[in-house]
Amino acid sequence: MFFHIVMERNMQLHPRHFGRNLRENIVSKLMKDVEGTCSGRHGFVVAITGIENIGKGLIRDGTGFVTFPVKYQCVVFRPFKGEILEAVVTMVNKMGFFAEAGPVQIFVSNHLIPDDMEFQSGDMPNYTTSDGSVKIQKDSEVRLKIIGTRVDATEIFCIGTIKDDFLGVINDPATA
Amino acid sequence: MAEKGGKGFSLPPKGGKSSIKSSPLKEASIKGKDDSSTKKKGRKVQFDSEAVNFSSKSGGKDSPTTFPKGKGDKGASGGKGSVSKVPQPLELRIEQELPKNAKCLMACEAAEILEGIQDRMTTLSKDPSIKIPVSFDKGLQYAKRGSHYTNTQSVRRSLETLTKYSVMDGEICVIANVCPDNVDEAFALIPSLKAKRSIVSDPLNDVLIDLAMVKK
Repeated sequence: MFFHIVMERNMQLHPRHFGRNLRENIVSKLMKDVEGTCSGRHGFVVAITGIENIGKGLIRDGTGFVTFPVKYQCVVFRPFKGEILEAVVTMVNKMGFFAEAGPVQIFVSNHLIPDDMEFQSGDMPNYTTSDGSVKIQKDSEVRLKIIGTRVDATEIFCIGTIKDDFLGVINDPATA
Repeated sequence: MAEKGGKGFSLPPKGGKSSIKSSPLKEASIKGKDDSSTKKKGRKVQFDSEAVNFSSKSGGKDSPTTFPKGKGDKGASGGKGSVSKVPQPLELRIEQELPKNAKCLMACEAAEILEGIQDRMTTLSKDPSIKIPVSFDKGLQYAKRGSHYTNTQSVRRSLETLTKYSVMDGEICVIANVCPDNVDEAFALIPSLKAKRSIVSDPLNDVLIDLAMVKK
């Protein structure tokens, strides 16, 4: 799910960036530093939407660098346990399949795929029901439920399930 | 024999078994084994049930603790009850996990914000030092795919009416993102709503009808 959130960060700036463009320099450094990063508490920082305020700078002893406390608003994306997501399948193998919802990777193990769906190997590996009416393959859109998350320094991995009511394929690229 | 003895020293329980096996009284040894195994199992079960019992009845009756046998029986039954409860439906607990100054966004709202930023980004991207991060593109793509509605404001307005019925912000956003066709689907996908089913059901139904009107 996406969130709009106010965050704070101390930006260290070299004196060469001072002058008329100080504010712009702080903001562009903030964007470079923060956008695309990931933390367990906030998830992925997708984009900075605005600067609330930039506090007074504090000169660091001995270096000449100045630290500015910056309050900024940003859009973050974080998956939650129990959340329902619509994800695009990126890879299918006999262990299960991987899907992607925004910047987040989700793995759905074959234990968490309904029992009536069987793995079919081939150049387009897929999970298919015995009557062939439902097929999960690369680029299928599935609705899944997050049951576990693991946060890395730069990525969030999730475990999902489609073995529940109202979960599963919502859009099949083969038939669409 | 020497090897067995060695094993016995390093691994006392195995050594005990092997010594019993090597003894001529096989029947007795088997019986002994069975007894020991059943005893172990019995004990284990008791331990588990006791642990469960304590946690579930911490403030409850004190009388069973005075009678060990009665306690065992009750513990077993309590254990069964709690075991069946263990696989609880996974509920959303967004409010507990997120800092207070965060506001949940529906995918369609996020898409609007990110599209606005994308325009700004294209002008910024003339500066080669600023790269548009991969997560931005992926996030935008995801938000666009997830926005099922033609009018974001009206979606927010109609869902906001549910806050009166103590539906959390996170739940509201999941409803908007999932866009369920009927009330049953909503309850199945968001189990935390089931607790308020009796009061939420009717207003939720109205909201879902509203949402269906502005659906793409």
